[in-house]
Amino acid sequence: MDYYLMQLVNGLSQGAIYALMAIGYATIVGVVGMVTFTHGEVIMIGAYAAFYAFSFFAENLFLGIITSFAASWLLGIVIYKVCYERFFDSPRHIPLICTIGFSMLIKNLAQIVFGPNMKAMPQPIDLGFINVLGVRINTIQILIIVIVISLSTILYIVNSKTRWGIQLRAVSQDKKASALMGINVQRTTMIGNCIGCGLGGVAGMLLAIYYQSILPTMGGVLGLKSFISSVLGGLTNIPAAALGGILIGVTENLGTAFLSNSYRDVFAFVFLVLVLIIKPEGISKKVGGRP
Amino acid sequence: MRKYLSIIMTVVLLTALLAGCSNAPDSGGSGDSDVYKFAVFAPITGNYAEYGKGFEVATQMAADEINAEGGIDGKEIVLEVFDTKGDPKESADISRRVTENDEYLAVIGDFSSSNAMANAPILGEAGIVQLSPTASHTDYAGMNEYMFSIMGRQDGEAPFFSTYLLQKYAGAEDVGVIYINNDWGKSAYDNFMLQTEKDGLNVVSEENYVEGEKDFTSLLTKVRDSNPDTLALIMHANDVALIANQVNQLGWDVNLTALGPGTSMQIIELAGENVERLLLSTPFFITEENEEAWAWSEEFKSRAGFEPTVHPAVAYDTVYLLKAAIENIEGDVTRDAVREELQNLDGFVGLTGPIKFNESGDITRKYLIMEIEDGKFIQKTEFDYVD
Repeated sequence: MDYYLMQLVNGLSQGAIYALMAIGYATIVGVVGMVTFTHGEVIMIGAYAAFYAFSFFAENLFLGIITSFAASWLLGIVIYKVCYERFFDSPRHIPLICTIGFSMLIKNLAQIVFGPNMKAMPQPIDLGFINVLGVRINTIQILIIVIVISLSTILYIVNSKTRWGIQLRAVSQDKKASALMGINVQRTTMIGNCIGCGLGGVAGMLLAIYYQSILPTMGGVLGLKSFISSVLGGLTNIPAAALGGILIGVTENLGTAFLSNSYRDVFAFVFLVLVLIIKPEGISKKVGGRP
Repeated sequence: MRKYLSIIMTVVLLTALLAGCSNAPDSGGSGDSDVYKFAVFAPITGNYAEYGKGFEVATQMAADEINAEGGIDGKEIVLEVFDTKGDPKESADISRRVTENDEYLAVIGDFSSSNAMANAPILGEAGIVQLSPTASHTDYAGMNEYMFSIMGRQDGEAPFFSTYLLQKYAGAEDVGVIYINNDWGKSAYDNFMLQTEKDGLNVVSEENYVEGEKDFTSLLTKVRDSNPDTLALIMHANDVALIANQVNQLGWDVNLTALGPGTSMQIIELAGENVERLLLSTPFFITEENEEAWAWSEEFKSRAGFEPTVHPAVAYDTVYLLKAAIENIEGDVTRDAVREELQNLDGFVGLTGPIKFNESGDITRKYLIMEIEDGKFIQKTEFDYVD
């Protein structure tokens, strides 16, 4: 029994990181109105930003969060300028292809600039263990879950209580009507895109800390995982995307517990296909926005 | 404005594509025969980049030395490096390109058995030698007569690992096995399991994963549940380090052993204290007592920026092997003649010891046991440990 609880905890901590990536992804898709394939690279850049902050300044967690968030935010601005700004009225496949090309560019540049080797990630917190109901949980897993919950709460408050958040939600519902209400749609879209990227960057930092390693090509699978997590949640619904991420994480880990680790991605994708067959709109009730 | 932007985007996309391509220089020129040109297949980027870089540096070192002494019968050696990214699809494409170009006399590489085996039918049909420094899958060299390997086969190293490293040296009783699910890993695992059955070693769990996996937490939790005293890791350097780190994160006290990575510094750099006391096997290790090898190792370090493992050392030997084979050719130097003389080569002694190919095109090696102590590899046994 302890064994399955332990696997559940493993699944939850990995799921929490997926959730943070998916929240970022859903925010982007909601506000911009188009899917993106650069999210994996945004995550990677966030991880590298934290890596350099830890290496050159201090192994301080808050410094890491701020640098990874800021670096990915800046990348978000570039992505917005290159891939979206001029293509809002163009056919939808143009920005889509553009994000794919841009992600290749970043991935290859990262290999040149950061070097193609895997590097060790400095650890900003000491490893310790806590016993809960006979299950040993380590401090890194707790840290991940705490950070993800805090960031989600902050995002929720920004989204529901502040003027910015209201503008963001208005733009994601209807760009034309928002413009008529006097909202600067271009700027709001860019900020929304950047918030999503920033959250992805923090997720990247957490992943690098969790696996104690960092690699320029780490983004590929992660971008895909954040995509399927948010599809599971109905693509633009933020809480549902978070739930989707956690479900994917738990499914993968329990799948490994019962069968083989080689089928990890199979579990994730079969689970997605099953959900989409039974409930094509995802696990959320409403289909928000127009992705 | 939009037109300009689309032009810029095209340029950006092209840059992205080109950035991934090999940056080999356009040397040699077409059709001229005053050089011997070899294609070097190596994973310059991707998960095995450390080994790929080692290939590139070590083969170039050998070529530079040979050229400085007048080349082969007065002709220079030119190497062209292709980045196969550790991906069989990529290397198969590159193989086709190489076979279509008559300039290349032979292929040195590829690093992984999966890649080498994907290239084998293409290169074999074209009649061009693939001399792999490292592919150790038991089926590889026998795939056709043009395939060669000098790493020693898995049916040599895996039994050594089970009988001598795990049982005789480490005294392991209950072993948990984790292996990478690719051609090499599966072959090493199969040979390992055959030997454990013969020896009566108790294997309490067997788990595998696919290439590129980063999260081993759930897999390790599962293996831990079967309560082994020793883990046998059949995989390469990066994965060994990831697993060692995650074993530590679980707060699990277990002995670690590794089959496959060689004495890679990458393991120590990535996992630090977590790989202290890790045991592994290697066919080759450089100590200060061996002056010639030590000088080679220093030269390699200054060129590559990291310590050599066995992998660049065997890559270095491949260039000298080809040189020796070409020097034995009487008459025209053709791809077929290179194959013929490589197969019949006798009395060759390289940096990593004597090399003589058996009928299927690979060799038998002996192995050493190494242990990591205070962030360094320490040689624990001699080659006669088996006797």
